Amino acid sequence: MPYILNTEKDIKEMLEAIGAANFEDLFKHLPREILLKEPLRISSGKDEQETRKIVESLARKNLPLGRFNSFLGAGCYDHYIPAALSYLIGRAEFLTAYTPYQAESSQGSLQTIYEYQSYMCLLTGMDVSNASLFDGASALAESALMSLRITKKKKVIVSSSMHPEYLRVLETYLSGLDFIIKEIPFDAAGLIDIEAFKRALSDDTACLALQSPNFFGLVEDVKMLSALTKQKNALVIMVTNPMSLAILKEPYKCGVDIVCGDGQALGGNVNFGGPSFGFLATRNEFMRQMPGRIVGKTVDCQGKPAYCLTLCAREQHIRREKATSNICSNQSLNAMAAAIYLALMGKEGIKEAALHSMNLAHYLYESLSKINGVKVIFSNTFFNEFIWQVEDAKKIIRKLRKKNIIAGFYMGDAYREFRDCILSCCTEKKSKEDIDDFIAALKGVLNG
Amino acid sequence: MENKVIFEKGKEGRRTRYLTKPEIPLKRADELLPKQFLRENLNLPSLGELDVVRHYTNLSRLNFSVDTNFYPLGSCTMKYNPKVNEALASMEEFTHVHPYQPSTDVQGALELIFNLEQILCEITGMNRFTFQASSGAAGELTGMLMIRKYHAIKKNKKTKVIVPDSAHGTNPATSSMCGYQTVIIESKENGLIDLDKLAKSCDSEVAAIMLTNPNTLGLFEENILKISEIAHKIDALLYYDGANFNPLLGITKPITMGFDAIHLNLHKTFSTPHGCGGPGAGAVGVSLAMSDFLPAPLVDKRGEDFYLNYKIKHSIGRVRSFYGNFNVLIRAYAYLTSLGADGLKRVAQNAVLNAAYIREKLKQYYEPCSILPSMHEVVFSCSRQKARGASALEIAKRLLDYGMHPPTMYFPLIVNEALMVEPTETESKETLDNFIEAMINIDKEISEEIEKVKNAPHTMPVKRVDEVYAARNLNLRWQSPGASF
Repeated sequence: MPYILNTEKDIKEMLEAIGAANFEDLFKHLPREILLKEPLRISSGKDEQETRKIVESLARKNLPLGRFNSFLGAGCYDHYIPAALSYLIGRAEFLTAYTPYQAESSQGSLQTIYEYQSYMCLLTGMDVSNASLFDGASALAESALMSLRITKKKKVIVSSSMHPEYLRVLETYLSGLDFIIKEIPFDAAGLIDIEAFKRALSDDTACLALQSPNFFGLVEDVKMLSALTKQKNALVIMVTNPMSLAILKEPYKCGVDIVCGDGQALGGNVNFGGPSFGFLATRNEFMRQMPGRIVGKTVDCQGKPAYCLTLCAREQHIRREKATSNICSNQSLNAMAAAIYLALMGKEGIKEAALHSMNLAHYLYESLSKINGVKVIFSNTFFNEFIWQVEDAKKIIRKLRKKNIIAGFYMGDAYREFRDCILSCCTEKKSKEDIDDFIAALKGVLNG
Repeated sequence: MENKVIFEKGKEGRRTRYLTKPEIPLKRADELLPKQFLRENLNLPSLGELDVVRHYTNLSRLNFSVDTNFYPLGSCTMKYNPKVNEALASMEEFTHVHPYQPSTDVQGALELIFNLEQILCEITGMNRFTFQASSGAAGELTGMLMIRKYHAIKKNKKTKVIVPDSAHGTNPATSSMCGYQTVIIESKENGLIDLDKLAKSCDSEVAAIMLTNPNTLGLFEENILKISEIAHKIDALLYYDGANFNPLLGITKPITMGFDAIHLNLHKTFSTPHGCGGPGAGAVGVSLAMSDFLPAPLVDKRGEDFYLNYKIKHSIGRVRSFYGNFNVLIRAYAYLTSLGADGLKRVAQNAVLNAAYIREKLKQYYEPCSILPSMHEVVFSCSRQKARGASALEIAKRLLDYGMHPPTMYFPLIVNEALMVEPTETESKETLDNFIEAMINIDKEISEEIEKVKNAPHTMPVKRVDEVYAARNLNLRWQSPGASF
C-alpha cells in the first residue's frame, strides 16, 4: 500500500497534461541497459492489518526490560518518563516537520530548541550549546575535532576509563586525518592515572578527553585534571551523563572547555540503543568552532521577538569542504524531548531522579559488599553505577538471568582485566524490593 | 504577543510528582559524595504539568509540518509518514529493549535489522548494509572511510575526491573529514556532469567520485555508465549519495549504475518522520568487494538464531555507539513491508509524475533550470521574477501565506534564484493544482502588487524574521535576569 492519492483518472489526466502516454515515458531518457528487466524480488504490498501482524510478530520475539529485574546501564539508562512527554513530542507538528530552515513557519521547533540549548547551558554551566549531535560517541569525536581546530595541535589524550564504544568511534572519526590518539590507563582506584597523564601531556597536546562519571561510574577530580591540562595550553573535553549534573558540579566550574555526551538519560527510551542524542556545550570563545545547528533569538521585521537558525557560516551547506563538520540532520526531536522532560520534571523532580538513582545504587553497593565472594573493587565515589567482582562473573550473570534478573553489563566484554566483573546500575525505577531480591538471588546462586 | 520561554513560566513550589520515594533511608548528596564534587544550586524552573503541556502544545501549533501543510522541500522528500509505523515503533517490546541485553532477549530486533538489510540489498543490488549511521551525512562519512580503507589495504596512493558543483554541501564536507582534498567539477549548461572535464580531472590520485543521481537539479545523469567506467579505470570508487533515490525505486539499482558504496536516507525515501531535523538513519550499502570494511557489528544468522557479528576482516571500526537509530529502522521496515515490490515502483512513478506535472504547469511562468526532463523534483530559476523585483526568497515567503511550506531555496548553488520543488508521490493532484495556482498568483502579484510579495509573510505567527540581526546580536540561550554572563 503505497499511500498514493492519485487515482487512475488523476494519473491519466496528468500524463496527458505533460504529453506522456504512460509511466514508462517518464523514464525513457534513462539508458536502457540499466533498467530493471523484472520486478524486485521482495514480497508484494500489504494492507495495514497484515503489516501490523508481521511487525508485531517480530516485537513479540523481544523480551523488554519490564519483564526483568534489570541493573543494566553502561551508557543507556532506563529512567522513569512522564506520560506527558510522549504525548507532547508525538505531536505531528513536531514529528513531521523538517529542519527549521523557514523560520516563520517553524517558530515552535525553533523556540523549543532554543529552550533545549538553554537547559543544557544551565545544567553544564557552559556559555553555549548546539542543537544536538547524533549520540554521545559522535559528540566526543566532534569535540575532539573541535579541539584540534582550536589549538591547531596534533594529539588527543583519552582515558581508557571512557566508554569503550566512544573510544572506538573517536578512532574511526580521526582515522582519515593526520592526528594522534594517545590512550592513557586508569589507576588502581579506577580513576585516570595521573602520572601516566603527566607523561603523555606535551606541547603538542590538543586536549584531554575524560569521562566523569567514568565508564565505571566513578567521579573524577576534573578540576585538578583541568589545572594540569591547562599548563600545556590544551583543552579539557568532558563526557558526562547529563542526569548526574542535577547533583554534580557544573563542568564549567571544573575548568572544562567542551562538555559533551549522550542525552538519552533525559527522557529517552533505551530503544535498543537508538535514537538518543548527543549534546555539546562550550565556552563563548570557542562558539564559532562548534559543529552542528544552533538556534538564536532575534526579531522579526517589526521588532517582535522571534527565533531562527544562526551562525550558519560554520556549516556544510555554506562552507562546504571548509565546514566545521559535515553534520546536517541531527537528533532534534530527541533533544526537544529532553527540554520537555526537564520542564515536566522541574528543578525538584530532576534532582529527585538523580538522587534516588544514586541512593539506590549506593544501597546496592553496600548490600553487595556484604556478600561473601563479592568484592566492590573501587571506592563509593560514584553516581549511579559501579563495578563489582565475583568469580565466574559470566556464569553468574547467566544464572541470575534464569531467575529473570539482569545483573548488569559484563565487563569482560570490554576490558581484559575485568573478566570477573559486572557493571551494575540503578535508576529511580528500582525499588528496595528489587535490590533485595537481586541480593537474595545472588546469594542463592553463590551458595547453590 | 510574545511567547514567553519556559524559564519565565516557573513558580517556586509548583510541581507534578512523578517519582516514588524509595523505601530506603534517603541520604543527601553530600552524605554520599565529597562536597567538592557537588553543585551548589540548580537554576531550573519549577512547573506543573499543565503549564508544560500548554506551553509545548501551543508552540507546536506555530509549526508547518507534513501532517498540516504541503511541504515540497526539495532534496528532503517530505512524503507522508504513515501512522501505523509510529504505532509499531512505540511498542514496548521495541522501545524497552536494552542494547546490552543478551542476543536471546532481542531476537526480534535482530531479525528486523536482518530482514531490512535483505530488502535493501535487493532494492539496490548492494551486497551488505550497515545501519550505524544516524543521518545521510554520517552515512557518507561511513562510506567514504570504507573507501579510504579500501585504498589503504591496496596501497593505492589517493589524495582527492571528485564532487560535482551541484552536490549537496555534505559531500565536500565529508571528503574533508576523511582527509581528502575536494576537486569540484563544473556542470554543463544542461545541468549534467561534463564528461570531458571529469576525464581530465581523473588522475591516479582520485580516490572516489561522489554523485547524487538524479542529481540535485532533479536530472538523471544519463552518462552514469561512462562515469563509472572513467572512475573504475583508475581504481577510483563511485559513491552514491542516495538522498534522491525515491524516483528510482524498482526502476534501476545503484549497483547496476556502477556504484560501489551508497547511503540511503531512511527518513527520506522510506518515510520515517523528520522530527524537526532528526532522528534520521543513513543505511550504508556496499558491493561485495567493499563488504570487509563495514563497521562492526553486523547482524548475521546462525541456524535459526540472529546474532551480532563483530568479526569483520578490515572493519573501519564503529561510527556510532550501539547499533544506530534502531527505532527509526522499525518504521522503515514497516513501510517497506506495507509497500512491497509493486508499491515501491508506484512510488517512483508517481513521484516523477507529480514533479513533471508541476513543471509543465509552471514552466511558462518560472524557468526550469534545464531543458532536460525532471525526475522527482523540479528546480526553477526565479531570475525572471528577480528582474521584475522579487527574489526567490520573497516568493518562498509569500507561499507561506498560501499555507504551503516553501521549496528549498538557493540550492543547488549553480542555479540563480533557485527554488527546488519536490512534491513527492504522496501528494494529490488537488494539492499540486493548489500549489500551481498559488505560484501563478504570486507571479501575478509581482506585477500587480509587489509589496505584498516583498513584505511576505503576512499571516504567520511572526513577520519576516531578521536572520542578519540574529547573527550580529548573538542570543543563543536564555539568561536569568541579573546573571553576570
